[in-house]
Amino acid sequence: MSKKFFAIVLAALMVLGAFSFAGCGNKSNTIKIGFSGPLTGAAAVYGEAVRNAAEMAVKEINADGGVNGYDLELIATDDAHDAKKVEANYVNMLDKGMQVSLGCVTSNPCLEFCALSKEDNVFFLTPSASNDDVTKEDNAYQMCFADAKQGVAAANYVNGLDFDEIGIFYKSDDSYSKGIYAQFKDTLDKGIKTVEASFTSANETDFNTQINKLKDCKFIFMPIYYTPASLFMTQAVEVVSADTVYYGCDGFDGIESAEGFEIDKIPQKITMLSHFNSKADKGMAKEFIDKYTKEYGADTLNQFGASAYDCVYALAAAMEGKDITPKTEASEVCDIMKEVFQSKDFKFSGVTGDDITWNKDGSVKKDAQAFVIKEANA
Amino acid sequence: MKILELLINGLSIGGTYAMIALGYTMVYGIAKMLNFAHGDVIMVGGYTMFVMMSLMGNPILALLCATVLCVVLGVTIEKLAYKPLRGASPLAVLITAIGVSYLLQSTAQMIFGSSPKMVNLISMKPINIGALRIEGYVVVTLVASVIIMTILTLFIKYTRIGRAMVAVSEDKGAAQLMGINANAIITLTFAIGSALAAFAGFFMLVKSPSLSNTMGAMPGIKAFTAAVIGGIGSIPGAMLGGILIGVVEAFSLSVESIAPYTDAIEFLILIIILLVRPSGILGKKRREKV
Amino acid sequence: MKKNIKWNHYLNYIIIGALTVVFSAMSLTGTLSRLSYVLLQNISIAIILSVSLSVVVGFLGELSLGHAGFMCIGAYLGGKVSSLLLPAFGESLINVIISMAVGGILAAICGVIIGLPALRLRGDYLAIVTLAFGEIVRSIFMNSSPESFGGSFGLQTPRYDRTYLFIVGFVVVLICLAVIQNMMRSKHGRAITAIRDSEIAARATGINVTKYKLIVFTVSSFFAGVAGVLYSFTQSNVQSVNFSYNYSIEILVMVVLGGMGSINGAIISATLITFLDVQLQTILTGDLAVLQDFFYAIILIVIVIYNNAPGLKNFRDKYNFKNFTEKLFKKKNNPAHMTDDEAKWNRVPSKILVDEVLSTKIQRDPTASVKPDKEGK
Repeated sequence: MSKKFFAIVLAALMVLGAFSFAGCGNKSNTIKIGFSGPLTGAAAVYGEAVRNAAEMAVKEINADGGVNGYDLELIATDDAHDAKKVEANYVNMLDKGMQVSLGCVTSNPCLEFCALSKEDNVFFLTPSASNDDVTKEDNAYQMCFADAKQGVAAANYVNGLDFDEIGIFYKSDDSYSKGIYAQFKDTLDKGIKTVEASFTSANETDFNTQINKLKDCKFIFMPIYYTPASLFMTQAVEVVSADTVYYGCDGFDGIESAEGFEIDKIPQKITMLSHFNSKADKGMAKEFIDKYTKEYGADTLNQFGASAYDCVYALAAAMEGKDITPKTEASEVCDIMKEVFQSKDFKFSGVTGDDITWNKDGSVKKDAQAFVIKEANA
Repeated sequence: MKILELLINGLSIGGTYAMIALGYTMVYGIAKMLNFAHGDVIMVGGYTMFVMMSLMGNPILALLCATVLCVVLGVTIEKLAYKPLRGASPLAVLITAIGVSYLLQSTAQMIFGSSPKMVNLISMKPINIGALRIEGYVVVTLVASVIIMTILTLFIKYTRIGRAMVAVSEDKGAAQLMGINANAIITLTFAIGSALAAFAGFFMLVKSPSLSNTMGAMPGIKAFTAAVIGGIGSIPGAMLGGILIGVVEAFSLSVESIAPYTDAIEFLILIIILLVRPSGILGKKRREKV
Repeated sequence: MKKNIKWNHYLNYIIIGALTVVFSAMSLTGTLSRLSYVLLQNISIAIILSVSLSVVVGFLGELSLGHAGFMCIGAYLGGKVSSLLLPAFGESLINVIISMAVGGILAAICGVIIGLPALRLRGDYLAIVTLAFGEIVRSIFMNSSPESFGGSFGLQTPRYDRTYLFIVGFVVVLICLAVIQNMMRSKHGRAITAIRDSEIAARATGINVTKYKLIVFTVSSFFAGVAGVLYSFTQSNVQSVNFSYNYSIEILVMVVLGGMGSINGAIISATLITFLDVQLQTILTGDLAVLQDFFYAIILIVIVIYNNAPGLKNFRDKYNFKNFTEKLFKKKNNPAHMTDDEAKWNRVPSKILVDEVLSTKIQRDPTASVKPDKEGK
């Protein structure tokens, strides 16, 4: 008899699943921007930064009269840095009337987002998914540097520094880290010897073996996120000599505010290559930092947020004056946006750079800067 | 010199694994169950130390509090989740243990969030012997694990309770007939295992100050590997297995081409040992009885 | 009465088949929402995974924590084959069938390899070996060269048209049901449950334990591999991070929730959990999302203790799901016929204690010894 029960339960569930019919459409009178990012899990700090900064930008633009007379609205969804969850998020956002998107915050989910959005022709400008393949479709644009470019830029910087031997510390199961690492190795002068050490997400806390291997290097390149980097530095205080330089990419951003990390106790010099200086004391970056910390505190202040802030402004600038209303279909918006982003006259200046333009393939064209996060302790 | 350094590094990794493996091997030997949640008891201990450090700032006091809490937690888990299942199929017990492990992880995440916390317990000066340099915590971890192992061995060999433990592990029914309170012995085993987990958590945090809700999961599985390699139920075996796994880990992490496969290599060793000699290096062979 | 039993046996095929037809019709007329496609394809994958795992866990009584590993093999190898066949066949049904067959068979071969240690090991050791196996597989794909399997960037796989992919998914569900359900209802199935209840006794009665254990692992890993191939079709990029042992445990939760040794239970709980996962994803954000894991863990513990604790036996006999549903739908048949163990093969308790066996034998109706699978009796 329980089979009858089984039948009823199953049928009820299936019907329930099908109840969400298509065509909710865009009922309210706003232009909708959607994004999917890690609001939970280990990468949550990046997703939160993007959500906060994008919300801040949306509020400011709306207070200024909006775009083409309409308000903007942000739809934030959570993918917990898991590509499996992206499709449901994407579909949900479309149902809620997303017209243009910030894509995903992190690279792996963004690859999925790229394939999905191509099918419906939805334009997206990702603030921080830096994988080279993210922009392989024509509807995909990046605000951050692609991994390849970061790797090349970092290698060129090192080539000019006059070291015979450098250390590299990377994460072997992370596409961000591995992508930069591969390009860096290709571009690096063949005369420079490298000592390499890697780790995986399974042993992300104890770096003593790796530190021992790298301890004689005077320059250590670390294309990794700041959490493992701060751990490496903490564990290496006594081992690595004090005149060593740590050099990271944009993943280093926010390291000085990492929870429980006492950066002053690290004797070494810490530098990074990035498009945003979280210690900027002038210009738009300074303004952004002040506004952001006032609203959301310094815990989540990083380049992800800065980049997202720029993304929203760039999208608003591109939409302004064009034939885009809350009624416009996403794919029409996409065609207009592609034209704008490809045109030579479209230049954008924001927190993460001045006169930013985009290449044909969707990657960004702006200057990378080497920032000193912390000088060596005297 | 390089090899010597690696060896010492491996010993320190292995020392922590050995301490966790001791907990596994005792519980497995006496309660005949794989306590999947053992690794997560370490995590709870870690968070307790984190809270205590921010409240009082004394690492020894923090360790004491963590030990007490872990013991209470271990005994509670045993009473609530495992005791009702005594006599049920091993499969049911194992699934419950997995459930407890997930319960602890998700509770920790609810309370402390998912971003890793840093906790600086103590920093020790390194010891220099010629060109060789040994980190302070390496010495402390190794010495502590040897002391704990010795105390445990003596406890089991020369005290009444210890011998009662051996009796329960050999034949629970016969031990009960001889007047041994098997339930109390199993509870005590869980208490000892959880206290060891707290110590292991302390040494893990001294070595690497990062604290997250999954910090115990992987080390827990690797320590179980160590316990199996050494021979489940054998205390020196757990020590030996832990150190073996630690040295393998240190060596394979230092060779660039195989470093990404470190976990795979450790698991492969486990599979091979289980196929070739399921009783482990120092374990006794047992025949299954009807 | 006989007719009734037969009808019951095929009810789950009929319901799933009918729903597939209904949804296909809806899909053709374009009334199905985008989210429903996501739901349906995820549900079909989850059902295949949980039904195939329930053969190992529920019927053979061994714990496998490497199910995600088999799925990983299927997803990578099947996805690779599918993308290699793309120039020749395009996104056609032939491509789907070939790549599913390849993914499934290769996963099945690994199932045999992992089944071999299963012959020597039992219980906790086997669980750890399967876990280790899954992690090794994951690590190999993770570190593969970018040209072969994409390494840490993930393998690019063709994403099939979702308007028909879910139909393929449910056809595979039906095939999976047909194979596994028929196997479990035959004498082979009874041999497998006999091994679960007492391996030594089963061996003594002349059951070829080696053979059956290998069969179970092969079948289970074959379907896990096929589910993996299906999964690769729903993604543009297969990433090995997703196949950690945590995913195996998620599948295990589905099996345990549905009731060990119940195929219908596995189907219902897979549907329910997948449905909730997708729906809650948009509701529970931030640190609230962990509430889901928290409740799964509690449900897992409570269900296992309730179903297995020797101390709760009397309580269980008095208040159980079976009694509840039987009260709900008033029984028309003579209860004496319905307590037949063989007729209700899917309700064999996960461990038959000696006294339980004895007590059921005494109360048993003499007419109930007719084997249900022999026709014409």
